[in-house]
Amino acid sequence: MSRPLDRFENAAPAANEDLDSAALRWEREVRAPFVAAHPERRDPFVTQALRWPIKPLYTPADLAAVGFDYQRDLGFPGEYPYTRGTQPNGHRSNFWTMAQVTGFGKGEDWAKRARYMLDQGLQGLILEHDLPTTNGYDSDDPLVEGEVGRAGMALDSLEDLERALDLPFDKLKYLMSVCNAPQPVNLAMIIAALEKRQVDPNKFVLHIVNGILIEYTCVGRYIYPPEHGLRIATDCIEYIIKNHPNWAPLSIISAQLQPAKANPVQELAFSMAIAMAYIDATLQRGLDIDTVAPYFHFVINVDMDFFEGICKLRAYRKVWARLMKERYGASTPRALKIRMMTSPTTIALTLQQPLNNIGRLAIMATACALGGAGETMTTPLHDEAHALPAEEAIRVGAALQHIVAHESGVAETIDPLAGSYYVETLTRQIEDAAMAEIDKITRMGGALKAIESGYFQRALGREQYERNQDVERGRRKWVGVNHLVAPGEKRQIEIFRADQSMEDEQVARLRALRARRDNAAVQAALEAVRAAARNGSNLVPPCLAAVKVYATHGELCNAMRDVFGVHTPDSQLTGV
Amino acid sequence: MSAVQVPVRPLRVLLAKLGMDTHTVGITVVAHALREAGMEVIFTGLKQTPEAVASAAIQEDVDVVGISSLSAGHTRSLPRLARLLHSQGAGDKLLVAGGVIPPEDLPLLHEAGFAKIFTMGTDTREIVAYLNDWWSQRRAAGIARD
Repeated sequence: MSRPLDRFENAAPAANEDLDSAALRWEREVRAPFVAAHPERRDPFVTQALRWPIKPLYTPADLAAVGFDYQRDLGFPGEYPYTRGTQPNGHRSNFWTMAQVTGFGKGEDWAKRARYMLDQGLQGLILEHDLPTTNGYDSDDPLVEGEVGRAGMALDSLEDLERALDLPFDKLKYLMSVCNAPQPVNLAMIIAALEKRQVDPNKFVLHIVNGILIEYTCVGRYIYPPEHGLRIATDCIEYIIKNHPNWAPLSIISAQLQPAKANPVQELAFSMAIAMAYIDATLQRGLDIDTVAPYFHFVINVDMDFFEGICKLRAYRKVWARLMKERYGASTPRALKIRMMTSPTTIALTLQQPLNNIGRLAIMATACALGGAGETMTTPLHDEAHALPAEEAIRVGAALQHIVAHESGVAETIDPLAGSYYVETLTRQIEDAAMAEIDKITRMGGALKAIESGYFQRALGREQYERNQDVERGRRKWVGVNHLVAPGEKRQIEIFRADQSMEDEQVARLRALRARRDNAAVQAALEAVRAAARNGSNLVPPCLAAVKVYATHGELCNAMRDVFGVHTPDSQLTGV
Repeated sequence: MSAVQVPVRPLRVLLAKLGMDTHTVGITVVAHALREAGMEVIFTGLKQTPEAVASAAIQEDVDVVGISSLSAGHTRSLPRLARLLHSQGAGDKLLVAGGVIPPEDLPLLHEAGFAKIFTMGTDTREIVAYLNDWWSQRRAAGIARD
């Protein structure tokens, strides 16, 4: 029995034909007849999120068409424009730091799980607070009943963080804290808790996410109107740069734009525009770009389209370098090098047939590694679509990164996909489209204006609907969802549920604290926060003084509500 | 001839997010799909209380109240919303919900008055069809207002 390709073995290339005519001949004599007999399985072939057409074959002609130039577009690892990576030796000296997200329950619950994760070989942790905390409420606020400690750790007072940070700091190299709208309060509590535990703040890196502009864009955990949100974030950036110069005062979580269905171009452009808004605000505090730029940090998700993900990561490095050099006149390598953390996206994972998600995570983690990984990679867990992570899933998730790192070979040479006709073409296409979108946002007046007008929100809302239509109409095959669906499948996976009594205990502790503390000192401290909010001085020092006398998280957020008011967007400004 | 009347006015749907749950992708997709299907969709905005949603549902005179829940607060807030609507004479509205809701919680929500829970991965066409069927039946039974 002959194989389909056997028929075409005699179509030998003519001598000395140039590439263009060779490609035309191949198309006419070899591929077209084959396709006539074997129709293509997709029409059209498109990338997953951008829906850009994918050609059957990429050749040096495609690189010529985008004006690809090795020296200008790629250069060398550790050198401008950093397309091939910010590290001079890729991952040959050290792997990326391997981290995972955790956070639930009371402070000591978080600490227990964090210690378990460190024992599994993880070196970095992400502290996610519950929704009452990230939205600026205490656990006993009537608005938040049923949500305490559910989606993350409950944080009411310094006491909670004192318990949470009961950790082996010799193993812990890195802690990221996600708490955007109430950031000065959260930052103050971490600083105070580290002081109480006598942890040397120079011995590890604290990243605060401080990403309020993305909250307004798509996440929704905002409190104050956007202009005040930006001021608060800038206060934290300024405070950290001046007081804890080895920490990271800001992360642009592109990984929140991506689950909101930003395509790679929107994700890159919106996140860079948002970064530029923070940079502009920080430069107004009298800092210079070569000092400020090295503090910016991006968290970037990779979705299932392997090449969109890899090319996006490569384009991120180059676009950042270009913006810092061309728009801001940065000159030091530290300012021109993007800092990033990468992660497989949770939105590729399915509720259906959840063990399939381990396969998806392996593919996405490999794409992260091939795209350069960044300083840190986190992996979500395969049962995350169900509820919060269970311990078996944590173990598998930690092992997965080690499998990619040690077994696959993808990290043994630097930027191994460079020079691929497809990869370089797509990288340039993403870069060019993102630069055009950044220019458009700049003409609107920048990211703050794009948020206040609802431009970002509506663009994402439309994209969310279209991407869902791709799945429902079968344009995108998704195993377990619209392909290889198992009817009536039984869920066989362990689910973690926060204990119901946890909320009551947390509330009881909070009330006991309020009864026990020096309430006159608390009131005076809150008034100092209101005064700073009004007079424009940095909010972190008065928040630090207030948390030390055990003013609560909600009380501090309310003190700022008194001055700033609250953000109540209509449907045009949410994109729903 | 079918006994079921063709709806003469669009179905009015209030979509809401309760409590601190700010995940909006699902509700955005559903809002777009319902609008594409000709329904009138009102969105409450984020961080609503059951009280505020109940009063919006009554004030806007909607036929359907749809809640999106992705943060595990549903076992308390959804039954509370249903009780509030019932006690204010608005128990005739169709209550539906969707999001991250484990199968073991479904009986509790059905008992509270939620007619249908669309769990993650539900096709928007299924939601549209369900609402249209309910609307047709209401009209056929002469219950629906014009």
